[in-house]
Amino acid sequence: MRNLIAFLLRFQGVMLFVLLEVVSLFLFVTNSSYQRAAFFNSANTYAGAVLARRTQVTDYFKLDELNRQLLVDNAQLRQQLYPPDFSRREADSLPVGRDTLGHLIYRHLRPDPSQALAAASPGQSAKGKTRDAKPDTLLLGGAKLATRDVAYPLVPARVLNNSLRAVDNYLTLNVGTADGVQPGLGVLSASGVVGQVKSASAHYATVFSLLHSKMAVAAKIKRDGTFGSVKWPGEDYSHALLDYIPRQNRLVRGDSVVTSGYNAIFPEGVFVGTVESFVKEPDKNFWTVNVRLGVDFSRLTYVYVVHNRPRTERDSLETALTAPEPTPVKPATPAKQLTRPPR
Amino acid sequence: MSVLGMLVRQLLRFGLYAGLQVLIVGQLPPLFGLGWCFLYLGFVLFLPLGTPIALQLLLGFGLGLAMDISYDTGGLHAAAAVLLAYLRPWVLRLLTPRDGYDAQDTVNVHQMGWQWFLVYLLLLVGLHHVVYFFLELGSFQHPLRTLGRVGVSILFTSAALLIVQLLFAPVRRKRS
Repeated sequence: MRNLIAFLLRFQGVMLFVLLEVVSLFLFVTNSSYQRAAFFNSANTYAGAVLARRTQVTDYFKLDELNRQLLVDNAQLRQQLYPPDFSRREADSLPVGRDTLGHLIYRHLRPDPSQALAAASPGQSAKGKTRDAKPDTLLLGGAKLATRDVAYPLVPARVLNNSLRAVDNYLTLNVGTADGVQPGLGVLSASGVVGQVKSASAHYATVFSLLHSKMAVAAKIKRDGTFGSVKWPGEDYSHALLDYIPRQNRLVRGDSVVTSGYNAIFPEGVFVGTVESFVKEPDKNFWTVNVRLGVDFSRLTYVYVVHNRPRTERDSLETALTAPEPTPVKPATPAKQLTRPPR
Repeated sequence: MSVLGMLVRQLLRFGLYAGLQVLIVGQLPPLFGLGWCFLYLGFVLFLPLGTPIALQLLLGFGLGLAMDISYDTGGLHAAAAVLLAYLRPWVLRLLTPRDGYDAQDTVNVHQMGWQWFLVYLLLLVGLHHVVYFFLELGSFQHPLRTLGRVGVSILFTSAALLIVQLLFAPVRRKRS
């Protein structure tokens, strides 16, 4: 026994070192997983309070810049209130090439409006129009989101902490579960996609930035709807890569890349960025597309946490579909059976 | 100095280094767009020479974890800081002066001399930064870029810690 104690004392340094290294490496490796208590990150109540106080102080030194940003956002929003009369007009067809006689071939982007009108009954189309003109929507990154939906509020938040230089970047927001923020929700700013909530305490939340090595946003090219996935390669905070665009597709510099809504985190059609350059690499089946991000992460101040409405329903449906052995659907509830007239 | 006084003093230093790092130094724009300042390492580097190894490791771990919580890095800062605390006695032994350390010796640029201090600082900060940045990347994919970050960060951190020493280290009689 005495020998054991002597041994432990003699090698206390090495053993404690190994123990602490294992603990910290475990914490580091499991850091990117979602389900984790909001203690070992900046959503922690004390860390959050410190960061909030720091933001209060530093905000004084950049009130000018903050005001200018808000002014730009306001200008964008006001522009939506006074749209020019040609704003609803979009090209219904694009010239895609020439046939053998030299005539231009047009490709229709959507069904011919006259045919669509003929197909739909007049009452329905009028109804659709009134639904389109519904007010109380906010155009966030190009996608319309209701601002006054009580069940699914759009939560405005201030960014307290934001890193750019690391391989995996995170944001800290000053909203938490008390404001309705849950892990897994999407975060947008007025100019596009920002990230996804990682964990939330009562009053603070930690967010995976788009600038994170494990973050991928399901996206599509707005012009032709080609699906891809936006990932950050880890160098420059203003650019990302759009993967999985097949090589035979035509790309155009300046095309908008928007969310596809496939991964149910973001609503469909939220702006991500614009195509800046693309190259065909010999050993790949896909284009390497460089995307200039719409959000300037270096001066991110105000963001919005969004709920994607049908998410719960869709997720449960998708898990039911992909489950190895789908559980048999339960018979209707007893209450319903009782109301049914007996035969 | 009594043990209690020592403890209070070290706790104050802990708070000061951690606070300065999170509130001010971490917010500085990166040097040349690459380097970051790890001022908080000064707490571990300038601990008294006779600090027991177990205490050093625990303090390094605590400080690293505090940084991890503020910067959302999981356990990255803690892993690198524990390694730094473990390597410090080895480097101190490596750099032992001809007649050993005196009882009142501390890590102090005036007391130990420029040469000793710079070797000590650059060696430990360099080791820490190499481990930190390659661990953060998790691979050796972009060696040049990462080495650039390591180099610039060593410069930034060492300059900051040297300034801390020149401003706050007590000037005492030089070793003969």
